[in-house]
Amino acid sequence: MANQLHNPVPIKRKYFTPGVFVLIILALNGLVFLIGRFLFGIGAVTNLDNQYPWGLWIGVDVAAGVALAAGGFTTAALGHVMHKEEYHAIVRPALLTAMLGYTFVAMGVFVDIGRWYYIWHPLIMWNGNSALFEVGICVMIYLTVLYIEFLPIVTERFIGRVNLPGFLSILNKPVDKFLRVLDKGLSKTMFIFIIAGVVLSTLHQSSLGTLMIIAGPKMHPLWQTPVLPLLFLLSAIAVGFPMVIFESLIASRSLGLKPEMHILTRLGSMIAPLLGIYLAFKIGDMFIRETFVYLTEFNTASVMFTIELLFGVIIPLRMFLSPKVLKSPLLLFIASTLVVLGVLINRINNFIVAYTPPYAEKTYFPSFGEISVTVGFVAMLVLAYRFIVMNFPVISLPGKHSAPQAKYTIRGVGK
Amino acid sequence: MKKFNYLLTVLFLVTSVSAQQNIGKKHLQLNINCKTCHTCDVPTKNEPCLVTCPRERIATVYQKPEETPELIVINELVKRYSPVYFSHRIHAQMSAMGGGCEGCHHHNTTGPILKCNSCHEPNRKRENISLPDLKGAYHRQCMDCHREWSGETGCNSCHVPLKDYKPEKKEVIQKRYAGKEHPVILEPTKLVYETNSAKGKLVTFYHDDHSKKFGISCISCHKQESCSKCHGVNRVTDNKPIKVDTKNTFEEQHRNCISCHSKNEDCSKCHSDKVLAPFDHYKSTGWALNKYHINLSCAKCHGSKLPYKKVDNQCISCHQGWNNENFKHSVTGLQLDEMHSELSCEDCHLENNFAIKPSCTNCHDDYSYPKQKPGKVVGKK
Amino acid sequence: MPGKSRRDFLKKSAIIGAGITGLSTSTAKAGPKNILSPDRMGVLVDTTVCVGCRNCEWACKDAHNLPAGNLESYEDRKVFEKKRRPDHTALTVVNEYSPGKNSNMPVDVKVQCMHCDHPACVSACIVGAFSKQENGSVIWDTDMCIGCRYCMVACPFQVPAFEYHKALHPDIMKCDFCFERTKEGKLPACVEICPVEALTYGPRTELVRVARERIKKNPDRYIDHIFGEYEVGGTSWMYLANKDFSELDFPKLGDKPAPGVSESIQHGIFAYFVPPVSLYALLGGIMWISKRRKELEEELK
Repeated sequence: MANQLHNPVPIKRKYFTPGVFVLIILALNGLVFLIGRFLFGIGAVTNLDNQYPWGLWIGVDVAAGVALAAGGFTTAALGHVMHKEEYHAIVRPALLTAMLGYTFVAMGVFVDIGRWYYIWHPLIMWNGNSALFEVGICVMIYLTVLYIEFLPIVTERFIGRVNLPGFLSILNKPVDKFLRVLDKGLSKTMFIFIIAGVVLSTLHQSSLGTLMIIAGPKMHPLWQTPVLPLLFLLSAIAVGFPMVIFESLIASRSLGLKPEMHILTRLGSMIAPLLGIYLAFKIGDMFIRETFVYLTEFNTASVMFTIELLFGVIIPLRMFLSPKVLKSPLLLFIASTLVVLGVLINRINNFIVAYTPPYAEKTYFPSFGEISVTVGFVAMLVLAYRFIVMNFPVISLPGKHSAPQAKYTIRGVGK
Repeated sequence: MKKFNYLLTVLFLVTSVSAQQNIGKKHLQLNINCKTCHTCDVPTKNEPCLVTCPRERIATVYQKPEETPELIVINELVKRYSPVYFSHRIHAQMSAMGGGCEGCHHHNTTGPILKCNSCHEPNRKRENISLPDLKGAYHRQCMDCHREWSGETGCNSCHVPLKDYKPEKKEVIQKRYAGKEHPVILEPTKLVYETNSAKGKLVTFYHDDHSKKFGISCISCHKQESCSKCHGVNRVTDNKPIKVDTKNTFEEQHRNCISCHSKNEDCSKCHSDKVLAPFDHYKSTGWALNKYHINLSCAKCHGSKLPYKKVDNQCISCHQGWNNENFKHSVTGLQLDEMHSELSCEDCHLENNFAIKPSCTNCHDDYSYPKQKPGKVVGKK
Repeated sequence: MPGKSRRDFLKKSAIIGAGITGLSTSTAKAGPKNILSPDRMGVLVDTTVCVGCRNCEWACKDAHNLPAGNLESYEDRKVFEKKRRPDHTALTVVNEYSPGKNSNMPVDVKVQCMHCDHPACVSACIVGAFSKQENGSVIWDTDMCIGCRYCMVACPFQVPAFEYHKALHPDIMKCDFCFERTKEGKLPACVEICPVEALTYGPRTELVRVARERIKKNPDRYIDHIFGEYEVGGTSWMYLANKDFSELDFPKLGDKPAPGVSESIQHGIFAYFVPPVSLYALLGGIMWISKRRKELEEELK
């Protein structure tokens, strides 16, 4: 059976390493500017103005964040909907990445909106015409779904091990009982959430593309197209697996584990067609709208578009087609990184580079504060990821073969 | 039935025509404009819309600027600012070159001057928005020019805020404006333009030749002059050419010139690389003007119609009354002596061609003209 | 997956499907007020009449409780050296441009919200804080806004401004067509103060007629273009000028409403929730089939 490799356990390692300290410093630096933003306003920390209302925080923290968390729904679709159990080992890490990714997307939004204390307004004030409303609602629901999907991992960690301190220990039994009921209920209904997660992702990944369409002629024609939602969805689907590979290889390196190449190679072999479809639509759109004329000009837009397409799609596409690349952890890592960076640049291009407001006196470039906050968020995300995989059963240890398990095996009960 | 209808129509026509004639009988003899007495376009018996008397002193747009009131107090819309004292006569004089009375008193060409508020409503919030309201109408009249030459658009450049306003007696104000007239407009003699024409950069324009010698009235060229033509520009006092840099078409640029001069004339007539000399009757026509002719206006000989028509050089063409009996030769500057006065004209002026000066040698072998003249010189030519 | 039968699965799917469809009927109506009244008001800005006195700037600030200073300070024409845009300190500004055809006077252009007939901001706003009212004004509701600034991204005229300097309760600032004043029967403050009535306030249809008439009567004075008559589907504020509008920093815009494409995509994706529900059903089907196949494989072993 394929799921002999599915054996998630908490990875016991020392949390603090030199790298972790660097991350902590970056996170603290971001925190300083975050405090500045909440005390003195958005203008004090960012380079945003009336011409450039959206900048790095929306372009990277939100748009790229959502895209790069696409690994969650693509692996869920592969592992659960298509029922390819051999991939179950990577479903949990991908789920965790998605959960953390979306959490930081939500935090990015929270920081970027002027009235953060009204963030709940879209829940009761609806505007069906607004692409942003759809993105907002879908992200909110999807985030909840992601937490629900993650709950079994928490119950698995604690069932039979509830050990509350002091007098609370009398609650150990009821809590344990509650967790077991919860777990049982979840395992019966989980498929609802898994499908919902995929549907919600499809919706808001594409709607994220719809966002900039309303900017109309303010957006450079190389990117402004009515098929933008489709391009966003296709690129999100294409970046899902590369992101899982990227994150898995970094995690195994960082935690000193053997790369799960047997899964990653097979995963990698699926990337080329997905990238190919995206590329076909991107190029097709370019030729139908005849926007390639803008590539003959030499300016930021044409250079960024070329970088995005050449290094982010075409080169990795060629690499993923080669069996040599698929078998080498290093080359696989490079190819995946290129796709990840390609989508990152694509989102930056769509939200920042392509956006040329009519009365701008200077072009926008993110301030040190904005970059600090974004980098700080990424550092916090990595720290949280590290903490969770060390304390919860997320990563499957290869080689540690155990008995075939049902998907939501209750640890400590079945054994 | 048909016949009856026909009869009715005829009857109607007859009565209506006679009714019109009844009114017309008195009015046609008066030979004055309807608008002098009626404010509306179609006065009827029931609604004659007569203006208030005395009607013989009704102001119209045909008045001369000098006949217009010196001061008009505008106080209809006093709200934030004091009434405005408008020096009407000076403005009327200035507008002579800028569209005349009709420039401001538009839609007012035939009858008595209408008040602005007879068309422009005092309320900005109104039904009919095709015309500006009264405040807008007033300000457009003033500010169109005033901002042009002063560059100022501030309220206080014309208005006194109501709180700073000290009301004065009407007589005091009227006295202040009494006799206020526009100073005499200084006329340039010569204007040199520097153009970007390839056929000679400089164009010399003798303004006084045109205005005085040729007797062209100011408004035949200066029809729609903007105020800044005189006001608010630094008059060129040095002799530097005035730069002309324009993207206008040939017609637009030469509009004033080609209204008299032919469009197809040789460019070099005006365009040259140096400043041209003023008009010289001898150089241009080959006929020098004597001391009498030089003082005449061109129209005296050439007729008032522009462009001037060519006149031949026979005295009799103009001086049609001259004949052998009444002609006094002394008007030519030479009083003939007894001997010569006895001769017939043709004896000296061969073939009665008076354009060519006779030479003594025609008759005399020993005399040489002009050393010796057949009489007494009474005037210098 | 033990304990999960096909019937179970279908039942649950049906319940969710019904739930979502139920949701959709309410969402179909959800959204801000967006009325295109035939009697909507507008303003015709005749830039050939405007003298650039900037009284409108003062009146606007005065009417919206913004620091306005005294009226005399607006006589300073040095401000025209730089092109300005409306922001949180001024909801309208006047810019000056070189003279147009048949004139030697500079062209002064008042800038403010155009109050589109099909406003992008109303369509874009995540919470529906913007609305198009019967009287033509596009207004913003401070109690709803979350400060996401998507309206600023969406606006084809780049008009809404944001109070970046405020840590708490920053506002989106833009001309509201003096909604409070007009409700009381007053004129918009700028229209009321304009000395030359370069701003004509009236029903939009009437304004278009008046504008056409002016162009027809004075073909030398105007270029034959009413900006805002058709741009982005029409705007409540319209402009006349004696030079091309692109030379007056007006954006070049088509006749299609700004939110058109994005709304049709949105409505396409969410047409009565059919596409998402179908996708849900499809994925559920795939899940069930693949699960069933796996089970059969295991049974065969």
